[in-house]
Amino acid sequence: MRAVFYYFERDLVKWLRGRVTVISSLVMPAAWLVFVGLALPTKFTDNYLEFITPGILVMTMLFSSLQGGSLMIFDKILGFLNKFLAMPSPRESMLYGKILFISVRGLMQATVILLIAALLGVRILNPVQIVLIYLTLFLFSAFFSALSTMIGLYLSDHDSYSAVNSMISMPLFFTSSALMPYDVMPAWLKTLAKLNPVSYAIDSTRMLFEGGIPVQGLISLTIGAGIMVILGTYQFRKACV
Amino acid sequence: MIEIRKLSRSFGNLLAVDNLDLDVENEIFGLLGPNGAGKSTTVMMLTTLLKPSSGTAKICVYDIVKESKKVRSKISYVPQDMAVDRKLTGRENVLLYAKLYGIPDKNSKVNEALEMMELSDRAGDLVSTYSGGMRRRLELAQALVHEPEVLFLDEPTLGLDVSGRKKIWEHIRMLKAKGMTIFMTTHYLEEAEKYCNRVAIIDKGRIAVVGSPDNLVISIGEDTSLNDVFLENVKTPEEQAGFNSTQFRNLLRRR
Repeated sequence: MRAVFYYFERDLVKWLRGRVTVISSLVMPAAWLVFVGLALPTKFTDNYLEFITPGILVMTMLFSSLQGGSLMIFDKILGFLNKFLAMPSPRESMLYGKILFISVRGLMQATVILLIAALLGVRILNPVQIVLIYLTLFLFSAFFSALSTMIGLYLSDHDSYSAVNSMISMPLFFTSSALMPYDVMPAWLKTLAKLNPVSYAIDSTRMLFEGGIPVQGLISLTIGAGIMVILGTYQFRKACV
Repeated sequence: MIEIRKLSRSFGNLLAVDNLDLDVENEIFGLLGPNGAGKSTTVMMLTTLLKPSSGTAKICVYDIVKESKKVRSKISYVPQDMAVDRKLTGRENVLLYAKLYGIPDKNSKVNEALEMMELSDRAGDLVSTYSGGMRRRLELAQALVHEPEVLFLDEPTLGLDVSGRKKIWEHIRMLKAKGMTIFMTTHYLEEAEKYCNRVAIIDKGRIAVVGSPDNLVISIGEDTSLNDVFLENVKTPEEQAGFNSTQFRNLLRRR
């Protein structure tokens, strides 16, 4: 599966050479953390920044993963997909390369958020919990980047993809446990939030920030990511243009 | 090299390729036809990007459906779009393909391919600084890095200036001389007449005529060209509606 690394390397080098994109993707999530974490007046906690940090981390991974599908759209529109599909390397390695790149890019953004959160006074965790936070975010990103890459494989233009992206990302974020705890939510929102996969990642990350180990959350995310990657593998193996 | 037997492909009610029978040996073979005739669909099927609705095709004895991976290891495909990464250098672009093909001595093969396409001097520059002709040659270098037996080219000279087109054709001829089979589509009939060993004219998914450009031209009379062979065998929507193109052409000749 060396091809996975070559596809990953291609996307990473191209991304790193686009300085404006790199800077904006690292600054934006940090801005969210500062403006939402420090500015929003809340009554259920006296340290909202600590409460919102897991939400911002997962939100960044969600938006970054869903945006990642546009990489596939561009490969398709610009003719790269045809060329790659006509090569003998396993077709699914393209999918795995995209998942790896999108997740690594998201984790780089997450690192910036964690550093700024630490500077703003959020409790520093022990190394095991930091590793588990990265694992949680990676599994969550694998789930959504596999989904977005699959959607990108079937759509033929970027506008349609942007529409699908907005349709998925915003409702998922606002009906999750990112902005408020379950006990202050209205009943209908609480039901939606409990079903929302974004909440699984946020609750797991929040538990890690509080010093716990979210065994159930990690298992759920592993199963979800596994299913999505298997579906993507099947779609890419039978892909044609 | 390429054996096509009763190959068909339909999209809903539209029969894009209809019972195609064709044999291509070690030669430069041009598939000509109007827009929507079925050229690209044929190339897509032969490069394993599209499954045929019926019929079979073999490339280097391997079936395009049952042994698609083996077919892909024997061919290279250069599509119409100039799909090269603008943010990578010429060398990085070719190296990516060498890695994906799993070539053992990558660097020497990459250098060889770049040299063959006369791109060694600019190999370290970003592709965003390349001209259209250079990008097309870079695509050929990517396609050649694993030394394929059959090279599929979809409109290889589209959008290039005269010198760029001439250079691409020189390279295509050189590849044929080295033993490679070239299967290509083009709209430039003058180029096909000059450089292809054989051509087939396809219209509405069916082969109308196949042969060497010289024989096809001779078969329709003196002072003719492949353009006339094309117009003789391809009915435009105007002609189908009753417009007499032969009379119109004769009128133009008299003037």
